[in-house]
Amino acid sequence: MPIEFLQNLSEMEIVGNLTVLSLLIGGIIMAVGIIIAKVVKVLFYKYYAPTLPKDTAQNLSKLIYFGIIIISLLAFTSSQGIDLSGLIVAGGIFAIVIGFATQSVVSNLISGVFLMLEKPAKQGDTIQIPDMSISGTLLDIGTFSSRVRKFDGTVIRIPNEKFFTSNIRSLTVSTVRRADVMVGISYKDDIENAISAIKKEIELTMPFVLLVPEPEFRVEELGDSSVNIQVLVWHPKDDWSQAQPILLTTVKHALDKAGIEIPFPQRVIWEAKD
Amino acid sequence: MSDTENSFSNYGLYDVNDSLEISFPNTEIKIERIGEKAFSYFRKDSEGNVVEKMIPAKSNDIKIEVAPIRPLNHPARRTGYVFLKFDKEIYLSENSAASVFVHCPIEIGIFLVHNSHHDSLDWITCNPLNSRFGFYGPPDTGTLCKYANVSLASDYSDSIPYIEGVIKIVIENTLDSGQTVSKVIFPITDNSLYYENSKAIIDGITVTMKKRAVVSIADVKTTPVSTDWTKSPTWEDTTVSTSMEMRLE
Repeated sequence: MPIEFLQNLSEMEIVGNLTVLSLLIGGIIMAVGIIIAKVVKVLFYKYYAPTLPKDTAQNLSKLIYFGIIIISLLAFTSSQGIDLSGLIVAGGIFAIVIGFATQSVVSNLISGVFLMLEKPAKQGDTIQIPDMSISGTLLDIGTFSSRVRKFDGTVIRIPNEKFFTSNIRSLTVSTVRRADVMVGISYKDDIENAISAIKKEIELTMPFVLLVPEPEFRVEELGDSSVNIQVLVWHPKDDWSQAQPILLTTVKHALDKAGIEIPFPQRVIWEAKD
Repeated sequence: MSDTENSFSNYGLYDVNDSLEISFPNTEIKIERIGEKAFSYFRKDSEGNVVEKMIPAKSNDIKIEVAPIRPLNHPARRTGYVFLKFDKEIYLSENSAASVFVHCPIEIGIFLVHNSHHDSLDWITCNPLNSRFGFYGPPDTGTLCKYANVSLASDYSDSIPYIEGVIKIVIENTLDSGQTVSKVIFPITDNSLYYENSKAIIDGITVTMKKRAVVSIADVKTTPVSTDWTKSPTWEDTTVSTSMEMRLE
């Protein structure tokens, strides 16, 4: 009975040599292909993805998933006896038309591919894009756009083309970072005393500041009202919040304790006499 | 269980029935029973930090072990490496070897003991001002380390209670020229600690200065110490780390 049913299906032609049975077989091939793709993707995420960087795992899983789907599609078309050579020529012309019509979309897609290959930053990195005044954590590099979570908690989507052509500053690629502030002391105070007081206070109160390389002090400028000293300290990359935002406070405390004046802008006026 | 030389508590096992007070330099710890099978933990350290915890227990008494641990947790766990800068440089002539005892900072771990299992309850440092970071190498590829200026010790008994243990460093110079050693950087996660009363010792290291191709390097490897002192429980993850290689300057 089932054999007769299948024979009937094979005799029912839809178009040309395409029968209901061949279409059914094609459908089964596609369905099995999609199931295999999903199962492989799940297994990949469970067993292999944890050992890979997040973005690599994401890109590889997409590649595996769509690779299996494309193979299934090819198996489907060959099972139907479809000649793809005509389709390729037509597809080429169609691709040119679509290419012109969707230039920016294709540009974003190609940029996305290059971003994935070049990897200027990886998922989870803290980055800065100075051209766009954006700083935050890179969430992902997608097919057409990338997402960055800014420090205020909002997420910004950046088209891949803009992201690819921008300067990207990675703030977490190095193990350590440097923080710096500028402070002015009065001309009557001793520079060495000021530096010594600041250094001592940093060592006492800022545990995340590295002792090697040690804090650096540069007399940057003999300004109008003050001698300007630049203070530079290194800290572990994850502890920016324990260095840069409190460095100036520490410097101020140190100078206050040592009785060193931070002068206001001032002007000496000489009065001419006859 | 207090040291005869001072009023501070020794390392070791403590049974807590109703209450227990442990004191270290600038640090106080109190554990009290607050109910049926429940204890409270209170710690005030030298920086004024207060830590309070509740400890639900399986019985009406608990066991605590106080032991020295690797100096990697204060002010935050960022690395498994230690950078020891010697107060005096050590000179080794060509094809020679020397062994020195060196002070090495430690922290103190508080462990909850049940059966033979140790759960880390808390950790402290009695010398927070000497608990700082240092960096070896260029910013992008270098190694972040816990940094300490250290002095030479006479032997294992020269340990400074609660603050510094003693580590034996064997230095071998296989090069055909004399070398001066002023610092050593190594992954301390491979080194176990041992204690007796209030003193601590650390597994040693062997530093071999040798030639690799055209570059002179110092290869650092761990050397387990043979002692009858009590082995300290481990606080940190003991993930396998690679041995350290330093470029000679």
